Amino acid sequence: MKTGMPFGLSRRAMVWLAGLIVASNGFFPAVWILLTSLKTETELIRSPITWLPEAATLDNYVTAFTAQPILRFMWNSFVVASLSTILCVLVSALAAYALTRLRMPHRNLIMSVLLAIAMFPLISLMVPLFKVMRELGLLNTYLALILPYAVLSMPVCTLVMASFFQDIPPDLEAAAMVDGCSRVGALFRVIIPLSAPGVFTAAILAFVNAWDEFLLALTMMNRVNMRTLSVGITLYQGEFAFPWPLISAALIIAIVPICIIIAVFQERVVGGLTAGGVKG
Amino acid sequence: MRKDLSERALGALLLAPAALLLLVIVVYPIGTLFWNSLHGVDNANVAAGEQFVGLRNYVTAFGDDRFWASTWHTILFIVITVPGSLVVGLGLALLANMPFKVKWPVRLGLLLPWALPLVFAGLIFRWFFEYRTGVVNDTLMRLGFEPLSWLSDPNLAFAAISIAIVWKSSSFMALMLLAGLQSIPKSLYEAAEVDGASKWQQFVEITLPMLRPAIFVALIFRTITAIQTFDIPYAMTGGGPGDSTETLAMYIHKTTLDFLDFGYGSALAALMFVLSMAATSGYLKYTRRSSGRSGDE
Repeated sequence: MKTGMPFGLSRRAMVWLAGLIVASNGFFPAVWILLTSLKTETELIRSPITWLPEAATLDNYVTAFTAQPILRFMWNSFVVASLSTILCVLVSALAAYALTRLRMPHRNLIMSVLLAIAMFPLISLMVPLFKVMRELGLLNTYLALILPYAVLSMPVCTLVMASFFQDIPPDLEAAAMVDGCSRVGALFRVIIPLSAPGVFTAAILAFVNAWDEFLLALTMMNRVNMRTLSVGITLYQGEFAFPWPLISAALIIAIVPICIIIAVFQERVVGGLTAGGVKG
Repeated sequence: MRKDLSERALGALLLAPAALLLLVIVVYPIGTLFWNSLHGVDNANVAAGEQFVGLRNYVTAFGDDRFWASTWHTILFIVITVPGSLVVGLGLALLANMPFKVKWPVRLGLLLPWALPLVFAGLIFRWFFEYRTGVVNDTLMRLGFEPLSWLSDPNLAFAAISIAIVWKSSSFMALMLLAGLQSIPKSLYEAAEVDGASKWQQFVEITLPMLRPAIFVALIFRTITAIQTFDIPYAMTGGGPGDSTETLAMYIHKTTLDFLDFGYGSALAALMFVLSMAATSGYLKYTRRSSGRSGDE
């Protein structure tokens, strides 16, 4: 590569600069909120604003935990996200298996229907779903979110797992069946263990989708102690005159679990996202 | 033959849980959506409750200024943020495609905006755009400009929301485009280099054409989410000032849950459904065609 670099920068400097731009674009908002959360209330309303906290304090975190039932919100989010993830992965694994490893008629049509559901306007679904849940007496219950969340992540989970299932040689499965496994037994003893990374990726995507969802959570849960994190924190504004110190601390508390998940499983998440997108 | 049949039966059995969930959570509610949209409460006879009113709700919608305004805002958000996040996303993807020794900062830099809930992105950008305490006005003042009243001026509020949406959505776009970039064979660039093509020529002649399928899929995904824009304006302005940043999704939500006008809300939601299905069918046509093509190879 002998072509000249723009602005007379060396190639190494260009790479560094590129990395810096991408990383700071992604991290800046979260870092800024973190800095905000460490400032005192008096520092926060001062103008001109400060960039780094003058006297870093954890007071806002104490307030965040005591002013609102944020641990309860977190528990709600956790219950809803994990149960919907389990349901979604189970149902999608069975569907993905049927679509990739059995000779099924109309396979492409079924895939297309799944994709069409992924593109469904959630708001159109929200209106009648609210009525259905109200009639079933499920408003303000976890089930009102678990069932829709499992469906919302089903297309991407099915696609991700299907792409992993496809790569397993049919001989392995045949061997298991010769050894006396049923087909479903082979699915759980051979296919799923071998495609564990795919199952895991699907689970992470479903979990993050459920953890982040806002519209349905806002609609189905109107009791304060049933709110999920995204709703609970956003609705702080209705109850006080926008308490930024408290909100910034609450935001950090809420995004830490997600940050840990994507930091630990970053390669899988990227692989899963692009498998669902590009191959779809 | 017998084995074939049992394989089909097993397939149907394995697809049954998914089908059942879809039936209960999607198909049945959407069916009732259209039915509900033909009902409403007669103001002259409120005690009778919801009654069949035919297409009255749809007629009302077409004469409702707030419906047209919120539809117009939604279209504006689509027209601004879809190309906006494509350009930013493509830029990020090209930067992220550099040969980094340490890969995680860049990867996490692209993943974090995706993983952040939309409402939280909205809240954070609301804080950025605050008049007195926001970092945006602070930067403007340090550069010698006047501070702007971002969230209380209709046009500026629109701009601020668009910036937040582009920030939030461009990194997912970048991840998809990056996967596309990495699938372009290196040999193409080497050949172009031998032929003396400049970097810009390589970008226009190789990168963009090879990236076309990825760009198309990313654009469709973005358009479909842009049609449903709700969370970010909800968190940043609540639709204000006035109703100047209210999207169709926000109007539907208000009609149904705040004004409790279920019939009218259903009619609006049905219109939204049709709008978005039109976009989806375009997408499905494209993927069918392209999967047919790859099947021929």
